[in-house]
Amino acid sequence: MNPSLVNNSSPTHPRWRKVAYGGMQPGYDDNHTDESFLEGMVMNASVVKRDMLKVMLDSVSISEYLCIVALVVLVWTCTLASTIDENSLLLIDVGLLVSGFLILLFTQEMLSLSLLFHYFLNISFFITVLYVLAPIYQTLTRSISSDSIWAVAASLLILHLFLHDYSESTVKAPGVLKNPALTSCISVNASVVASVFIASRLPSRLHVFAIMLFSLQVFLFAPLVTYCIKKYSFRLHLCFSISLMAMTLSFVYTLHRLLFVLLLSLLVFVNVVCPYWLIRIQEYKFEINGPWDEAKLCFDITD
Amino acid sequence: MGDSPPQKHRILMVSDFYYPNFGGVENHAYYLSQCLLKLGHKVVVVTHAYGNRSGVRYMTGSLKVYYVPWRPFCNQSTFPTLYGILPIIRTILIRERITVVHGHQTFSTLCHDALLHARIMGYKVVFTDHSLHGFGDVGSIHMNKVMQFTLADVSQAICVSHTSKENTVLRSGLAPEKVFVIPNAVDTAMFKPALERPGGLEIVVVVISRLVYRKGADLLVEVIPEVCRLHPNVRFIIGGDGPKRVRLEEMREKHSLFDRVELLGAVPHAQVRSVLISGHIFLTCSLTEAFCMAILEAASCGLLTVSTRVGGVPEVLPDDMIVLAEPDPGDIVQAIQKAIYMLPEIDPQVMHNRMRELYNWRDVAKRTEIVYDRASKCPNQSLLESLSRYLSCGAWAGKLFSLVMILGFLFWHLLELWQPADDIEEVPDVIFSHNCDEEMLQKS
Repeated sequence: MNPSLVNNSSPTHPRWRKVAYGGMQPGYDDNHTDESFLEGMVMNASVVKRDMLKVMLDSVSISEYLCIVALVVLVWTCTLASTIDENSLLLIDVGLLVSGFLILLFTQEMLSLSLLFHYFLNISFFITVLYVLAPIYQTLTRSISSDSIWAVAASLLILHLFLHDYSESTVKAPGVLKNPALTSCISVNASVVASVFIASRLPSRLHVFAIMLFSLQVFLFAPLVTYCIKKYSFRLHLCFSISLMAMTLSFVYTLHRLLFVLLLSLLVFVNVVCPYWLIRIQEYKFEINGPWDEAKLCFDITD
Repeated sequence: MGDSPPQKHRILMVSDFYYPNFGGVENHAYYLSQCLLKLGHKVVVVTHAYGNRSGVRYMTGSLKVYYVPWRPFCNQSTFPTLYGILPIIRTILIRERITVVHGHQTFSTLCHDALLHARIMGYKVVFTDHSLHGFGDVGSIHMNKVMQFTLADVSQAICVSHTSKENTVLRSGLAPEKVFVIPNAVDTAMFKPALERPGGLEIVVVVISRLVYRKGADLLVEVIPEVCRLHPNVRFIIGGDGPKRVRLEEMREKHSLFDRVELLGAVPHAQVRSVLISGHIFLTCSLTEAFCMAILEAASCGLLTVSTRVGGVPEVLPDDMIVLAEPDPGDIVQAIQKAIYMLPEIDPQVMHNRMRELYNWRDVAKRTEIVYDRASKCPNQSLLESLSRYLSCGAWAGKLFSLVMILGFLFWHLLELWQPADDIEEVPDVIFSHNCDEEMLQKS
């Protein structure tokens, strides 16, 4: 009985293996497609489920900076129209400097006296050089027409807004190790050049010095200050942003109704429409990963 | 049995990558051609001119190579001209009476052009993919679209590993049944172990690869100091050149490893074996590999391999011949330690003999012959049937692809009017083996 049973059993193929060695696998063609085909494929691995409220809160940083730039443009406009004289502008500069330092002092626990002295020394040197260079800025674009100046300044500001790094600041807070990205540097340089162009249309060197100091203070250090506030307390960041938006909108309202409507629409677009749009468009994301992908290194390459 | 006698194919191999250039694709096309010739088929190779090497050359075994006077413009790839190559390809196909066109490598524009025109003229087309590509970066997205175009109407496709098959099926939209998995092989006669393994207490780890990011040179920089710290008797020999060599030199200076890490620079292919047999362990830290020829060469020389677990590498060798690690410095260090403990049980000669059984170019040629048979049995398709397949490539791309095919079709018919196929002289078959036999008979 036993030998006949053994003889009756049919020969079973060995299981197919996902290996390349050893030639053709017995019983299978080279184009055999196993049920484990594409087993290692992962779709949309990096998709993050987003919450509407969180995205809106995250976009407040963008609105905040838009308002800061709008305030700068407002001050530029008033200065060019002689509504703000150089003495008032210098007072604004000093006020900004002091309030900025105070905010840094409150939000940075590890700020020491030597670091403060270092900051003071750098700021003094910076202001001195700016004062010396003010006559050059005043006469820089004398031979260029005003229309070109306005157009170039507006273009540079738009470039600045588009390339700006809203998640961090280009001027690094103490202790941060990463280097700024190329787009971030281009953004800061665009704003500085725009400031120079605007300053070159003012009548006196003190005017030029005051407006340049104001612009550089805002463009260079406002991202740092807002970043420190955000890191210190998100609620304080929200309060500061909302009050800044309210102040900016009220100032623009007193100046020009159409610009007020434009700025309000822009803020609504950035804070409400874009987050909603992002969440809606997320469902079209299609991403494939698998064993064929290039491996990612788990450490930073320090050159 | 009733089966028809095995068919003798006349194959045209097309690629931008061929000897005198060196690489995996070049080796594959050459050895495959040689073994197909031994099986009785006729093989002709078409590639672009390499420097002064232009025109027709004959290689070993009467392998005919057309070095088309077409200049490379980027990494040995020719400029994609769409229709520029059609006249000369048509002439070669008619002269040599080709039945199957076999293209190699995704990045070969000559290959893609030739496949397109061969399909227009009604020839059977086979494509071999030698690389893995992602889906997320700009270059891969465009390359995948081109591949979808050229492979939309291909008869059969070959990949060198199962992971590569999955990748190619996803990228090109081919049906999985059309894709065969036929690996590379290694010339075991060229890669033999040393008569005596380098003795002594010293353990030598050999690395031979280009020193670039994709080959994991940054992993090497992290791994070597740690291994040297844990095992004082370990020494490294690194062959290869590239942008990351400076980092390796800095690593050597930083950790004072001048006597234990040797940098050879670029190693000519003829000297690879002598470098391999001076070591005990072969280390590769690639971040992506469809199939790693270097691992086969090292195993054929009797070395135990340590490799990152990426792409098709896990399919290449049995578990007792390779130690796999994640692409992480700590894991690679542990894998090297495991390999060091496994070393006393490894006999290089036994490993070499196993490699001769596992990988064999004659076996690769037989399996490729099966692919050619399948391609020959595919029914012929008219232009309208092909166009429907091209249209399904995408909303806009499909129409563009169809337009390219229609224009190619018209251009082909224009060539038929200008220079009919009957006027093109066919090349007579040269039978070297008979001449050799006659000479032997005369001598005896």
